[in-house]
Amino acid sequence: MIFRRQFLIGAVLALAVSLNSGNARAASADDFIRSAGEKTFQSLNKEMTDEQRMNQFRQILLDTFDLPAIARFTLGRYWRVASKKQRDAYVGLFQEFIVQAYSHRFKDLSGQTFEVKQSHEINSRDRLVLSEIKIKQGKPPIRVNWKVRRRDDAYRVIDVVVEGVSMSVTQRDEFASVIRQSGGKIDGLLAALRRKTGQN
Amino acid sequence: MAVALAVTIGLSGCATPPKDDPEAMAAFIATADPYEPLNRGVFVFNLALDKAILRPIAYVYKGAVPGTIRNYVRNFMDNLRTPVILANDLLQGEFSRAGDTLVRFVMNSSFGIGGIVDFAGAVGINGHNEDFGQTMAVWGVGSGPYMMLPFLGPSNPRHAVGHLVDFLFDPFTYYGETEWGIGRLAMRAVDNRAVRYNTIDELERTSLDFYAAVRSLHRQLRNDEIHNGVPSTEQPLPMMSFIPVDIGDQLAQPKLSMAD
Repeated sequence: MIFRRQFLIGAVLALAVSLNSGNARAASADDFIRSAGEKTFQSLNKEMTDEQRMNQFRQILLDTFDLPAIARFTLGRYWRVASKKQRDAYVGLFQEFIVQAYSHRFKDLSGQTFEVKQSHEINSRDRLVLSEIKIKQGKPPIRVNWKVRRRDDAYRVIDVVVEGVSMSVTQRDEFASVIRQSGGKIDGLLAALRRKTGQN
Repeated sequence: MAVALAVTIGLSGCATPPKDDPEAMAAFIATADPYEPLNRGVFVFNLALDKAILRPIAYVYKGAVPGTIRNYVRNFMDNLRTPVILANDLLQGEFSRAGDTLVRFVMNSSFGIGGIVDFAGAVGINGHNEDFGQTMAVWGVGSGPYMMLPFLGPSNPRHAVGHLVDFLFDPFTYYGETEWGIGRLAMRAVDNRAVRYNTIDELERTSLDFYAAVRSLHRQLRNDEIHNGVPSTEQPLPMMSFIPVDIGDQLAQPKLSMAD
């Protein structure tokens, strides 16, 4: 009887602890996006030169995104067949490509209201944080969903989905097409990325 | 001779499925673009046409007409789409959204001065879009292969048939002058192009393969519209599935789980 009661208390305690840690994790993934979003919208303003904006964007990207994981995902099935040298070259080129391609798109977003709405678990380590950017009165807000991964008690963004369009999926699809067009050669993609980022 | 030519063009318009490589085959099915060489040709044609005609008109429209007036025009045309949106809300069993559509129409047609002001949006009842292509998707109809249509742009058989049915749903198809209908279509095209002016320029400037980027965006945006903006981790199972969803459609869903 006593054993049973202890067992029950133990079970309830275990449940409470697990619920509590679950809540703590939910709150901090939201907080992570909230602060990253505020940082992004405050630091990017319209008076910046393209060069300044790009540098600022690069810093935010390196601080908040898991770029190696995104790079791996966007290379898709070609990641496994790539050599060490190709992978290293790709990860470097991918980062520069993302900075150049996306920093411009944030130009119009500076000074807008950013609000985290809710979040839910995707699996044991990933959460989806739903947020909105309010453009102006009477216009529907822009939906921005962040896929956030926890590793070693730190959070990193692994995907941004704007109005249903995923950055990672779009880049993966585009890169796969470039590789196919170059006869299945990863070097074809590396050459295209070098041209685009002005590194040849 | 003509038949032989047609057959040759037909064959050269088809990409060869990579049957010997299972992973490449899976990617081929997921992309759902078996007519890629043909589609790329049409894409080049559409781009040339856009740069020669639609883009310059959109540029002038954007520059010459004040934003407020352009909003009035867009709101007015959105309001005219009410019967089509309402019919599709109802066909999808989305009664709460059908209610929104109806309330918006009444409010915007009256307080919104015949639809030029989005009064309902200002009080928090935002508009949404529906079309028969989305309705068929909700019913479980597969998208079929990706198609780049001349003049009309990215599509697929489900999307294209949907447009035709929406045209038949639209009361203005039966009442009103033909010239007026053509004018409405042209205005819609110019306005849509003007709204997306910077986005399209930016996408073309930054993409490595513009065709592939457009194809990916079309699939993702349609998928988002079909699921009314609900992320796929929250999506319920399809309402009814009396017509099998094709495999390309299933594989084409953007995956939420990320391979490490």
